Amino acid sequence: MELSTRRSVIRPRTIPFPSGFKVPGFVLRLALHMVLIGVGVLSLIPFVWMVSTSLKGAMEVLSITPSFIPQEWRWENYKEAFEQVPFGRFYLNTLFVTFVRVAGQIIFAAMGGYAFARLRFPGRNFLFMAVLAVMMVPGQVTLVPNYILLKELHWLDSYQGLIIPSMFSAFGTFLMRQYFMSLPQDLIDASVVDGCNPLQTFWHVALPLARSTLVAFGLLVTLWSWSDFLWPLIITSSTDMQMLSVGIAYFQGQFISNFAVMMAAATLATLPLIVLFLFAQRFLIEGIAMTGLKF
Amino acid sequence: MQNILNDPMKRREALWGYLMISPMVIGLGIFFYVALGASLGISFTRWDLLTAPKWVGLDNYSYLLHDEVFRKTLKNTIKFTVLNVPLGMIVSLLLALALNTHIRFRNVYRLIYFLPVLTMPVAISVVWKWLYNPDFGLLNQVLREFGVERIRWLNDPHYAIWALIFMSIWMGSGYGMVIILAGLQNIPREYYEAAQMDGAGAVNRFFHITLPLLTPTLFFILITSTISSLQIFDIVYTMTKGGPLNSTRTIVYTIYDDAFKFFRMGRATASAWVLFVIILGITIVQFRTQKRWVYYE
Repeated sequence: MELSTRRSVIRPRTIPFPSGFKVPGFVLRLALHMVLIGVGVLSLIPFVWMVSTSLKGAMEVLSITPSFIPQEWRWENYKEAFEQVPFGRFYLNTLFVTFVRVAGQIIFAAMGGYAFARLRFPGRNFLFMAVLAVMMVPGQVTLVPNYILLKELHWLDSYQGLIIPSMFSAFGTFLMRQYFMSLPQDLIDASVVDGCNPLQTFWHVALPLARSTLVAFGLLVTLWSWSDFLWPLIITSSTDMQMLSVGIAYFQGQFISNFAVMMAAATLATLPLIVLFLFAQRFLIEGIAMTGLKF
Repeated sequence: MQNILNDPMKRREALWGYLMISPMVIGLGIFFYVALGASLGISFTRWDLLTAPKWVGLDNYSYLLHDEVFRKTLKNTIKFTVLNVPLGMIVSLLLALALNTHIRFRNVYRLIYFLPVLTMPVAISVVWKWLYNPDFGLLNQVLREFGVERIRWLNDPHYAIWALIFMSIWMGSGYGMVIILAGLQNIPREYYEAAQMDGAGAVNRFFHITLPLLTPTLFFILITSTISSLQIFDIVYTMTKGGPLNSTRTIVYTIYDDAFKFFRMGRATASAWVLFVIILGITIVQFRTQKRWVYYE
């Protein structure tokens, strides 16, 4: 009884809201806002400066007094970016390669993860351990041999080379296995009674249930693939095969003099991810919290 | 084993199992396990890809051990990691704690802090290179207002690695923040209520509830961000190419340089194995020492 009265006295001031603590006091709240806004400005300045520079004239860029608002808005810089370098081609390459990589990673990881979680076969644990072990070795160890393998297959500078070695995710297999382990056995038994083979059970029963995990994993893989740099850098050589990341680096080497056009290129490369994020913010943040995947 | 093969139901299940894991197992088998074996082999050779590989035993490794530049490379990589990881974690933690309050606009703040995570490292490096530009970059222009002399951020061996670290923290803190926020949400409210009733103040609650219960999350971030910091490449390639005076040359940059600029495949793979051993060693030490500070419920 005494306990409950004490509680009710404290409650209005200090019992936290379901998803956070109440910050007491107007002054404290204001101070916190000031700090948060300050950090926000630091976060945003590079973006603002990038877009602002991308709209300036070649002379204004080199002005001694910095200004965030361009004197004359030169949208032509964006046109120039597309003219000076086959930017459209880089875009299409990146979109295509990312799409196929993501589709492959999702399908193979989900299918493998399901089999490791739900089917019994000799050597299952050994093979699963072998998949897990992949995650412990940094990718640079296999970089040179894979480059040589691609050279022997005549896959250098090709879509196969960009896509196929990047379609197998040990991490994804692990993630999907963990998810499928949590499905109730009744569900799977029911579909077996209905005459489904394991592949059909996987496709019609398990996969639809895993939708949110798949979306989170897919988004993270998309971000990783979009920014992927070292692999496309070493295996592509012709301009036609380049992805955006390598294209930007190349652009920087070639046209270092015109900062405005370069910032236009950087804006174009950054924009799609930010748009994607704005639409899928909730899934992405949940996905990162859930998986912790670094892309 | 024999039983499974005799029972037609179980045999069928096993066959389906092999079928469904086959793309993953074959893919990783070729592009990981075959490559891993080949990599170890190549690291014992001298090979420029034009002439036949020549067996040199441990020469590549002993070269690396004695090479002045590679030692500096190791030092830079470790320095970058040792500074980037804790500083980044502190920023992430502070941001997460501030946003775990019921302050207004917290979703807007979270969005803004998270934006840098979404950028393509190569593209945003180009932007930072421009910000760091000694003559026309925003940073020096602002500093000039405060009377600071022109600093050549990326061309001065004293500043270059700090410039990379600062940018890297800018780019990565939002990621840690999101994970820590999730960790904070998982701490049961009852603990705070109970502590409150016992008269524990905010500082006490932070050090006796929040921090201990957050240690598994912090441990996770420590492991993953250490591993990725040790593999830093993209921003080095775009911003400094390892310079000036090798002050930002990192292991992965050296691997790239050796293999694809100088075609020293043997030495490049040997460096990659050194990196692997370092990562493995540090990770094992981190797991061993977690008992001392990581608190599992």
